Amino acid sequence: MDNKNISQIALERIKGEGIKPISRIVFSTKRVLFWVAVAVALVVSALAFSLILSALFNNDWDLYNKFGFSFILRTLPYFWFISLVVFIILGEFYYRKTLLGHRRNLLMIIWVYLIYTTIFGGIFYFTGIDNYIEQALLDNTPTYSNYVLGRHEVWLHPEEGLLSGDILLVGDNEIELIDSNNTIWIVDIEGAFTNGKVNMEIGEKVKILGDKAEDNIFKAEEIRPWVGVPLNSTKKAIINTP
Amino acid sequence: MIDHSLCEAKTDNELVGMSLGEPDHFLCLSKRYESKLLRYIIRISKFSREDAEDVLQEVFIKTYFNLNGFDKELHFSSWIYRIAHNESVSAIRKKVVRPTIALEVEDIERFGDDFDMTKNLDNSFDRKYIDEALSKMDEKYREVLVLRYLDEKDYTEIADILKKPVSTVGNLILRGKKIFKDEYEKLSINK
Repeated sequence: MDNKNISQIALERIKGEGIKPISRIVFSTKRVLFWVAVAVALVVSALAFSLILSALFNNDWDLYNKFGFSFILRTLPYFWFISLVVFIILGEFYYRKTLLGHRRNLLMIIWVYLIYTTIFGGIFYFTGIDNYIEQALLDNTPTYSNYVLGRHEVWLHPEEGLLSGDILLVGDNEIELIDSNNTIWIVDIEGAFTNGKVNMEIGEKVKILGDKAEDNIFKAEEIRPWVGVPLNSTKKAIINTP
Repeated sequence: MIDHSLCEAKTDNELVGMSLGEPDHFLCLSKRYESKLLRYIIRISKFSREDAEDVLQEVFIKTYFNLNGFDKELHFSSWIYRIAHNESVSAIRKKVVRPTIALEVEDIERFGDDFDMTKNLDNSFDRKYIDEALSKMDEKYREVLVLRYLDEKDYTEIADILKKPVSTVGNLILRGKKIFKDEYEKLSINK
């Protein structure tokens, strides 16, 4: 084949086979979709970051001395740590698929992503958007609810002095509490230190440090607020029962 | 029929627009890149001229088919080289290729100049060693050296063609040069 004819042969094939250029809309849509994917990955990683912040700021770090390192390990938000990493990688992947994304190196893209994630994650955290999203996840995805309950299960060990649940009744020196296993507890709160953020009202979720006195009876030493999203959606029916 | 002498004054971008309106104008674009791309395909694939011409035909057809996907933020040259790169890579995977690259004499001389080896290029043996040294190199290093020193592309254009970060291209060229020199010296010593 004479190379002088390659262009001519290609053109003849184009005409002969009726080859038409793919529509511009296809390419434009593809480009927009890659940018949407970059934005979605950024929003999710920012949300993950805000929920990590929430979990870290509100974790009971002071109990490390009493219950050891395993207590801290059991309460860390692994799901959101993994989500953060996964969505940063996805964001980087889709960014590189954008028109000029391949020119930037991996570390630079990740750094920029981390900076944006920190900024937006901080905004989500300080505006409380993360709580709305988490509540929506809890209400609509049983798997996520189970995961969150599992993470907070550390607070369901009365024999170790850890109890949590929704307040059913409030008396002068005692409260009635239902835990996430639907067990009802009588909690003696006389002399217990109550954190200022605890309102002590029906339906409120609280964490209690103390000692199990008898079956279903707990002596409180300290009452803490349930930080983050209240996990009481499944208890509403029970609480509202006369 | 198109008067192709009119094409010569047109830029690549103008020709892309004209080709979308009238396919005959695409001939101006393909002719402009025909010999450059044919050499590029041969250099990176080690294909025979005939096989490289088949690949080039596919490159032109793919280019026309995707013409609306060309974005003016890139050079048309980088874009069509990218298509040629992809087609060559996919053709390489399908074929058992010849073991050496057939570089043209002027290519070898230019390569020798860039590597400050001009003084050694006064006989055909040295030219043969450059050819052989390049052939022995890993594909990723060979390709950046070919693009940089034979096709005279800058780092950003190479990054666009290979879809790699500019910094990675810089590292590949640096390392590729070292590997090439080592290979070349090894061959020269053993001659």
